[in-house]
Amino acid sequence: MKYSILFALLLFFGVSLRAQTQTGSMLIKNGTVHTVTNGTLENADVLVVDGKIQEIGTNLRAPRGAEEIDATGMHVMPGIIDAHSHIAIDAVNEATNPVTAEVWVGDALDPLDVSIYRALAGGVTSSHAMHGSANAIGGECETIKHRYGTYNPNDLRMEGAPRTIKFALGENPMRVHGEGRGIQPATRMGVEQVIRKAFAEAEMYLKAKQKYETARQNGDNTVMPPTFNKRMETLSAILEGDIIIHCHSYRADEIYMLMQVCKDFGVEKLCFQHTNEGFKVAPELAEFGAGASVFADWWAYKFEVYYSTAYNAAILTENGVTTSINSDSGELIRHLYHEAAKTQRYGGLTDEQALSLITINPAKQLGIDDRVGSLEKGKDADIAIFSAHPLSIYAIPMKTIVDGVVYFDREEDPADMRLDVDPEEVMPAFFQDIDDHDHENCMQGTYMTFEELFRG
Amino acid sequence: MVLAFLAMGLSLQAQSVEDALKPVTRTYAFTNATIIPQPGQQVAGATIVVKDGLIQAMGTNVSVPADAKVIDADSMFIYAGFIDGLSNAGVPRPEREENGPNRGRRSDGVNPGDPPRELAGVTPEKQVRGELKHDEKSVSDLRELGFTAAHVVPRGRMLPGKGSIILLAGESGEDMLLAEGVSQFAQFSSAPGVFPATVIGVMAKFTELYKQTEQMQRHMEAYAKNPKGMDRPERNEALEALVPVVNGELPVFFMAPDVKSMYRVMRMQDDLGFDVVMTGVKEAWHVVDQLDGKNIPVIVSLELPDPPKEKKKKEGEEEAMDDEMKMLQKRASERMTEFESQAATLAKAGIAFGFSTMEASANDIRENLRRMIKNGLTEEQALASLTTNPALMLGVSNLMGTLEEGKMGNLLVTDGNYFEEGSNVRFVMADGHLFEYEAKKAAAKGDPNASAKVGGTWAYTVDVPGQTAEGTLTLTQEGGEITGQLSNSQAPEPTDIENAALEGNTLTFAAPIAMGGQSITLQFTIVINGDEMEGTVSVGEFGTFDVEGYREGSPE
Repeated sequence: MKYSILFALLLFFGVSLRAQTQTGSMLIKNGTVHTVTNGTLENADVLVVDGKIQEIGTNLRAPRGAEEIDATGMHVMPGIIDAHSHIAIDAVNEATNPVTAEVWVGDALDPLDVSIYRALAGGVTSSHAMHGSANAIGGECETIKHRYGTYNPNDLRMEGAPRTIKFALGENPMRVHGEGRGIQPATRMGVEQVIRKAFAEAEMYLKAKQKYETARQNGDNTVMPPTFNKRMETLSAILEGDIIIHCHSYRADEIYMLMQVCKDFGVEKLCFQHTNEGFKVAPELAEFGAGASVFADWWAYKFEVYYSTAYNAAILTENGVTTSINSDSGELIRHLYHEAAKTQRYGGLTDEQALSLITINPAKQLGIDDRVGSLEKGKDADIAIFSAHPLSIYAIPMKTIVDGVVYFDREEDPADMRLDVDPEEVMPAFFQDIDDHDHENCMQGTYMTFEELFRG
Repeated sequence: MVLAFLAMGLSLQAQSVEDALKPVTRTYAFTNATIIPQPGQQVAGATIVVKDGLIQAMGTNVSVPADAKVIDADSMFIYAGFIDGLSNAGVPRPEREENGPNRGRRSDGVNPGDPPRELAGVTPEKQVRGELKHDEKSVSDLRELGFTAAHVVPRGRMLPGKGSIILLAGESGEDMLLAEGVSQFAQFSSAPGVFPATVIGVMAKFTELYKQTEQMQRHMEAYAKNPKGMDRPERNEALEALVPVVNGELPVFFMAPDVKSMYRVMRMQDDLGFDVVMTGVKEAWHVVDQLDGKNIPVIVSLELPDPPKEKKKKEGEEEAMDDEMKMLQKRASERMTEFESQAATLAKAGIAFGFSTMEASANDIRENLRRMIKNGLTEEQALASLTTNPALMLGVSNLMGTLEEGKMGNLLVTDGNYFEEGSNVRFVMADGHLFEYEAKKAAAKGDPNASAKVGGTWAYTVDVPGQTAEGTLTLTQEGGEITGQLSNSQAPEPTDIENAALEGNTLTFAAPIAMGGQSITLQFTIVINGDEMEGTVSVGEFGTFDVEGYREGSPE
């Protein structure tokens, strides 16, 4: 059964979905298949069994009972992945301290956020729900799959995805903590010191834990472990290589600075977010192996973001940096395929390079490229079907599939897809939830004065 | 609201109608009543004797002691006193919110990243004992509804403190106290401007405190066994208060009104392993299977979303609603039904639950119970959720929850089925203290076929508990149109009435009062019989009051 029909039935009967995530089987027939990693196949079929891609080829046969989708004249591509988003979470910034590594936005997932459906309507199947940029070291983030229709927050989690954490350089943490509270960091230098200090404390915490372990092994029961500290637990997991840093950044000097800090502490898993001046340090980024997740052409919304170019993604790509294009917005997320196409106008990237910016590259940055980001045998059946070439301005998203289940179907797209209906108020759906995803989402939840907003 | 009262010549010091009778004797006998000893049972023509706060005898063949004050309860119903599953009854609100939303921005010496734990909301050791007040309005409000005991928790943020069981009568706060430290109370309430300022901060803090408690306990045990060469364990009142929680000896009553909160609580419970009671729930229909599967006890909120206000359609007015609005209205009303049938859904799944009055307005509680019953909850289940279920959950079923000899003198007496509209609570006995209440007058019924002349000057009175307001209403009837002015002793400047309409002998009109930049509308519904009138006036959310009056002078 098509998911949207199932969804309507569930709404009708007032029954909620089970806590287990669904998988489906289907045969997508006769489309132009953009595998992204293995070229483009004309008039090809994609066979999906139990949520996984079983085969890509021609004249494939659907297993009994599996749905057949006729993709004649259509384009089939991997589900789009947004490496920077704040949809589907109830809290963005725990802006009370320059370091809040102890918090995790995955604790506050919001499956009822209609933005998830809006993202699906733009072919986006996964996103990186991030903590905000108020703190030099923010909270852990969560990689989610857009399984809209569930009331269970756990159903959104991409099980097995690596842990990630938000860092932030420059004006946001300086403004919130330096200007706002008169504490470190008041300057860009201060941000570096906050991060260095946090890493140094985490090293000491790890040493204290090791001392305890060693004593235990030697039969010495008088040594106690250091007091459990959730912030230090997370920071030491970064030092041990278990967490990928995703760092809000604009200026080249700061981007370079964080790479030096990471080298000093032996941290290798690093991806920069926004990275507007990434083009200035592209070879250095490539050498470090750091990713860059950028806007296609969005800048000048605060002082440190004036020196920018729409060629950024292309320059980074041509220099060998794993680059992605992100939304940071509940609106932009719906047309990331347009955003990717801009790199062909500004930088002349090939189709494959441009599509990689919203598929396999963000998957690599999130550490989930073994599961999603391309159409390959054995990968998750997260698929977007477009009416035309997805980089064409005429392309319309037709169907969006997660784990082999159709979650968006343009042919069956009910007018009201809200899950959380207010029983006391009747108002057009258009007016609901539109204030959730303002520009500069990163600063959600921080206290700003009117004057400060203008500098936001 | 306050202004509306002033306008009607009423003061806010209005006394409650209830008045504790002076205890001339501590023996009471309610005779010839229909007694419901427990849900599903009923004994007609029965007598119940309460002596010195305990039920001494009950049945159809009970002799009334000579020293008893006898209350003829003929045609009345007697139920076991209700138990509030969780609230702040008797715990006064703090006089002033110490922490504005901008706390932390000011240089007040507080580090917002590491605030004192009281400010962060981490006071798990706190008890209500020192704060309880026997004369709080929240106590008398609940008592008037038939509640005689409550599980009360301190006010606060994420970990406000421990729950106590109190009786809703007593001579002092301490006098009401039955049992202390029966639960740990927790909620996803963040601290303004300081850590934890978000739900993710609260959850991180909860996990950290929990693990630190486990760690501290291991340290203390090792130190107690052999302290030689070992650092002294740090003393920490908050962590020590959580020891019974991590040991599974004290349930955590976790506020989880919405579905997301319920899932968050369940995940934290999976990770950490504490005993939990899902509390104040409003959207449990989403998680019935999970609650059942994990055997999680539930306390349902007695608050429901407000019913949609019925718009009065003017004659000839076209129902101008497009398809989208119709669809949206349908979804809103389906959603409302889900809220109203939550209790029935849980009951059908075999999940026994109690009720919490937290967040619910006392004025709405009986109506909300009726709405739940209308949507599938049986009266027996409703009564069990008010009596036997919470008694079991709170471990006091040997003291209360049913009417049995030897149990506490906690009961309520009604002049009809409690769950039917129009019945009144006439007596409440809590811990052997008797409270008497007046029956509310039945609303005057208009006759659509009668006719009435409304013109003239009317003197009216409005009954508000403990007080009566007087005033004058001047009405002019010309053809079908009625105009007029309303005044009273406090506000001699008369107000023009609006939207006056006469149907049969029922007159309705509104009197908008503008005071202090605020506009409040008094909505009158009055039945006129000859020169007398009787009806009600509703004053916004403040409630509806009885109006009476007579014609002083005829129109010229």
